Amino acid sequence: MGLVVREDEDMNLANLFRPPPLDPILQVVSGVAIFRECTRGELETLKLHLHERHFLAGEIVFDEGEEGEGMYVVIRGKLRANRKGLLAKKVLGVISPGESFGEMALLGAGERMATVVAEEDSTVLAMFRPELQALAQARPRLGYKIAMGVALVLESRLRKVAEGDSSQPSAT
Amino acid sequence: MKTSSPPDRSLEHPIIWVAVIGGALGSILLLKAVAWLAFPLILAVVLYYLVQPLLQKLQLAGVTPGQALGIFLGAATVLTVIFSILVLPKMLNFLSDFQNQIPTYWERLQSVLRDNLLALEDRFAFAKKARLADGMEEQLNVFLAGSGKEYVADVALFLLHWLPSLLLVPFLTFFFLRDGTAFHRLVLRAVPNAFFEKTLLLFDRMDAQMRAYFRGMFGLTMLDTVSLGLGLWFLGKGPGIFGFWDAMFLGLICAIFAWVPYIGSGIGGILAVATVAVKAPQSSGLMLAVVFLFLGVRLLDEFIYTPMTVGRALRMHPLVTVMMIFSGGMLGGVYGLLLAMPLLGIFTVLGQMFAEIWFDPRLRARYQARGMLEKRLASKDLGI
Repeated sequence: MGLVVREDEDMNLANLFRPPPLDPILQVVSGVAIFRECTRGELETLKLHLHERHFLAGEIVFDEGEEGEGMYVVIRGKLRANRKGLLAKKVLGVISPGESFGEMALLGAGERMATVVAEEDSTVLAMFRPELQALAQARPRLGYKIAMGVALVLESRLRKVAEGDSSQPSAT
Repeated sequence: MKTSSPPDRSLEHPIIWVAVIGGALGSILLLKAVAWLAFPLILAVVLYYLVQPLLQKLQLAGVTPGQALGIFLGAATVLTVIFSILVLPKMLNFLSDFQNQIPTYWERLQSVLRDNLLALEDRFAFAKKARLADGMEEQLNVFLAGSGKEYVADVALFLLHWLPSLLLVPFLTFFFLRDGTAFHRLVLRAVPNAFFEKTLLLFDRMDAQMRAYFRGMFGLTMLDTVSLGLGLWFLGKGPGIFGFWDAMFLGLICAIFAWVPYIGSGIGGILAVATVAVKAPQSSGLMLAVVFLFLGVRLLDEFIYTPMTVGRALRMHPLVTVMMIFSGGMLGGVYGLLLAMPLLGIFTVLGQMFAEIWFDPRLRARYQARGMLEKRLASKDLGI
């Protein structure tokens, strides 16, 4: 039995100098508007502060009015944002993979502005404000990028609301 | 991103208070039972909180966390080698001299005590009747002939017993620094979704509480050492009692005693006065000056140093503090004395957060709803 040498990609010497492919979770995170400016190294650092949570269809992620402590990025599944109306719940919209919600909690302790419920079994990444603050102290450049990302996302949402487009699910 | 201070939450339920005190005292018992491991573990946690800001500063300068840890370990190794070569031989010589002088110090202490008791006997008839000076001398001789030797042997055995466990301290600290974040994440994975955010907040508050306490205590110890050391040096340099470093060393020992609230400062004060009494038996004015120095540093501690360093985060009612320290001392000896207050602080935060989570009907309802969803999912094809 002789050895079979395969001429596949792994044997290509040029691949040795390429960085390994980005972690699938980080691939999703890198597409989120808030983290778009982050470098690969910064995303790897960020990963240490992301908490993966699984929600069943119908399970509440957070309630309107409760104290917010962090933001979430959807990896898999679909979630719905509701807000209490005068007569019934008002559906603000649906949050899909690659989208984030609850960003306002990163800016400071305050009440959640909507209830978010999982419409189907979903996986989200949670980022907690005090951990982000610690990270920003240790890596100010990364902290600045995230803070600017949050500011830009909120600015874009405010602009859309001002223009009359109220279907903004993540104003949470 | 603004920094928010945790809101002030009172412990509304008496049962939580009982659980907080019970938890703190129970932990003292538990730590005493596994003291061989608990002692290095606590030291490693203290070291972790002291080293962490240095690593953060290195990261601010642009190095990765791994590199920062490497730089720190390299620097620590170099410093240990320098210490072993330059300082250790001098320290061993000093200890050897001190050991040779112990009989002289002991005789002087005995004579100071005897002189003072004789003066008391001259002034008060009841003291003369009780023959205080003779009684004390007899007791001391009995102690020296019998249990004194046993105590020395016990102390030597105690030190030998603890030495190997101390070697665990750098090992544990290294892994706390390297894998602390990953371990934190692993623990949080076990928390139900409904309580997740609140639990994260709890971890953060506990971490902040412990960091503030240990860093604060380190700062307080340094300030106390410098104040007492300088004071003792100033008072003792005239009569030639203390050199600068002797005074600083005595100041450090007294500052470490002061870790035990209220009682520790008293013991430190007595130690300093006894040292002066031994070194300058005739100088009662100097002993009085040392007493005033201690009272002055106590006042500085109370009104300036403690608010500057430890802050008022762990401030409890003095009655609760004293009761906790004595209970801790009874249950856990030296461990209990030292750990009673930090443990009470940690359990207070835990109690506050538990009350906040458990007595929030909405969070509990969400937790139960998740259970129902899981049950429904598991029995979907069972036709129930």
